[in-house]
Amino acid sequence: MNDIGEFALLLALATALYGVVSYVIAFRSNRVDLYLSADKTPIIVWACVMVSSIALWRAFMANDFSLQYVWAYSNIDLDFFYKFASFWGGQKGSLLFWTLILTTYMMVVHVQNRKQNLRLVPIALAVMMVITLFFLVLLNFSTNPFERIPLPPEDGRGLNPLLQNYWMVIHPPTLYLGYVGFTVPFAFAIAALLTKNLDDGWIRLTRKWTLVSWFFLCMGNLFGAQWAYIELGWGGYWAWDPVENAAFMPLLIATAYLHSGMIQEKKDMMKVWNMSLVLLTFIMTIFGTFITRSGLIQSVHTFDEATLGYYFLAFLGVIVAFSVTLILIRLPLLKGKNELDSFLSRESIFLLNNLVLLGIAFATFWGTIFPIVSEAFRGVKITVGPPFYNQVNVPIGMVLLALIGIGPVIAWRKSSWSNLKRNFTKPVSVAAVGGALLFPFVPLTDKSEIFTYITFILCIFVTTSMVIEFMKGTGARMQAHGEAAVTALSGLVWKNKSRYGGYIVHLGVVLLFAGIAGSQSYSTEVEKNLNIGDRFQLGGYDFIYEKLLVKKQNSTKTRVIAQLGIERDGRRIWTGMPEKEFYKGQNQPVTEVDLISTLKEDVYMILADFNPETSAATIKVYVKPMVKWMWLGGWVIAFGTMIAVWPDRLEARRRTERLKRQEAIFMPAQE
Amino acid sequence: MKPKQIKFIIGSGLIVVAVGYLITTGITTTSKFFFTVDELQAAGSQYQGAGLKVKGTVVNGSINRNPDNRLLVSFRIEENKATLPVTYKGITPDMFEGGREVVVEGTLGTDGVFHANTLMTSCPSKYEAEKEAGKTHPGSIPYGKDKLPALESPKILPEKTTI
Repeated sequence: MNDIGEFALLLALATALYGVVSYVIAFRSNRVDLYLSADKTPIIVWACVMVSSIALWRAFMANDFSLQYVWAYSNIDLDFFYKFASFWGGQKGSLLFWTLILTTYMMVVHVQNRKQNLRLVPIALAVMMVITLFFLVLLNFSTNPFERIPLPPEDGRGLNPLLQNYWMVIHPPTLYLGYVGFTVPFAFAIAALLTKNLDDGWIRLTRKWTLVSWFFLCMGNLFGAQWAYIELGWGGYWAWDPVENAAFMPLLIATAYLHSGMIQEKKDMMKVWNMSLVLLTFIMTIFGTFITRSGLIQSVHTFDEATLGYYFLAFLGVIVAFSVTLILIRLPLLKGKNELDSFLSRESIFLLNNLVLLGIAFATFWGTIFPIVSEAFRGVKITVGPPFYNQVNVPIGMVLLALIGIGPVIAWRKSSWSNLKRNFTKPVSVAAVGGALLFPFVPLTDKSEIFTYITFILCIFVTTSMVIEFMKGTGARMQAHGEAAVTALSGLVWKNKSRYGGYIVHLGVVLLFAGIAGSQSYSTEVEKNLNIGDRFQLGGYDFIYEKLLVKKQNSTKTRVIAQLGIERDGRRIWTGMPEKEFYKGQNQPVTEVDLISTLKEDVYMILADFNPETSAATIKVYVKPMVKWMWLGGWVIAFGTMIAVWPDRLEARRRTERLKRQEAIFMPAQE
Repeated sequence: MKPKQIKFIIGSGLIVVAVGYLITTGITTTSKFFFTVDELQAAGSQYQGAGLKVKGTVVNGSINRNPDNRLLVSFRIEENKATLPVTYKGITPDMFEGGREVVVEGTLGTDGVFHANTLMTSCPSKYEAEKEAGKTHPGSIPYGKDKLPALESPKILPEKTTI
């Protein structure tokens, strides 16, 4: 089976190579026979990679430690689910997993567009095939997951306990689905440039791909944050580590593109800009992969295979050079028909939103590469950490939040003062009243708290302007169709899925901002050395250290638990059980935090240290307000995206009509 | 160029300038020098009092915890034969132990002791332990410890333990 897996990778490589060449030749010389033959390759390549992946999964399930990769990331005792997830636990498997997703996407693009959009699709598939080729070269010649150990050991080294968490099964695939997904809009953008089909056809064709990729990347980041928060026991969820930044930057640029793409569809302008954003999003995913796999930038993550970094660097260089050249060559064709009319228009708010998002992305990028830059120019490595990112990105983020509220209520093209007054009076006054009501309750002792207060006011402003949008639409429907409120509301959303889905996503973003602001500013913490019976207070809670329990869970795992009684206003409300788990054969324990999570705040308890003889323990407790708002915001974003991407019959009909018009241009002979 | 376009260019320029300003001030007020222990030692007392990040390997057996307050830890880190004494107050990451590569953040005192306020460990521990245990596996002997395949860090996974 391992041989089959290895061979399938080789076969995929050969087929992909043939696919690229034949697609290009078929397209250039209009050779239908060659096109039909090329058009079989996406499925064959996908099938080969699938076979190879199944072979690797089989090796994990069968404890086949003759594979170095399986030996390094699994062992006999590992749970079924973690064996499944170990597939993407390390370098080699994660690259195979990447390739699996990429080829699956390619196959879907192929099936979706069978004999349609022939002006773009063959070239777009060829571009995806080239990218697939790069990964297949890596898998075949540099990081072969089927590398053998001559004399197979009896057991593997096992999966790092920190990764043995259910998020391991969810988070990496989600992130990869997003990361890899941006290849599709990239491929179509390149195809549009190469074939000079520079109307908004490629944008419409890839809109949902972008949205879905954006969604997965967004969720992937949130899941990662949640995992770090629950598993790593440091009370935080985001550390601005280079690896996190690598996943954050494409998200920001894709967000910018999702907004500016709308302007091109509506007003036929900003073509160069949109093209650049799409290319940049993909470039950032490769750049992110490069920095996470090269070890060039000091991160708490370690990266040993520096050579792989060079492959990615070369690939990155080629893509950047190719993209920039192509855009420059096609510049004359990328002229829009319109230009911005007025500062006070939705277009200019979108432009502003783009600049702000790119500003955050650039600050993050600059901070990430600053150690390299400073070493090159000043001879000293200078690093920046969370304080830098917070100091820079928080103010820009607040501007972004304000724009979310302004954008939807300002008119396209040119807004008049009376229009502004009409649309802004309500949200601004509600925000002002809300701010005044909050004033007595929020602390305002330092900059961070003042920023948080402003953020809350902005959140109220945005929410109000969104609610008014929903109310206006609902009201109009109730009058026009004589519907009841609920029917009218759901009808409104259903008839304008992308618009109102987008608004729901915005509401989720508001929750996210509120949660981040609240949990960052108002978090309190205490570290205590305690003996049995000791008490301490934090954030209105009383904690009593009651006892130290030692539980032998099973033959490999022993748990040491500190039991904390938690009281509020003299009444016992909870028993906290932070613990350390000890696994047989390992030197270090795994800290498991205990958590009371409510909408108001999280009580986060860590057992830092203990003395088994005296039962003394060191406990750290955080009280972090509003953490749950972030996770809730994530679900609202998911719900909104779901509505926005839901297939729309009206849209589908429009698309088929458009496609029919295109058919005539490049027609492979009917079979 | 039309005046309208100029207006937009100026507007966008202002935003770019504002972001640039935030970045430059951010870097000057928050940046930290990054050294390995030997680089820091070679620089002498030049960086005393400045914000520093130092990378090194924890010297085996050098970890001392204050018996009255287990949150007070002192240890030494080394790199290329240079060593640096470190004090730290707070919870130590699970993977903190002798032989582990760490990055400490803080300041270098005039007494030559590094006062860390952040302690980060890199690379999961599990493998080291398993590597030694692996010796008992007959099958793994011919593979040799030095030939053990390099460990890769799982991409994107937050293996961090920051406090």
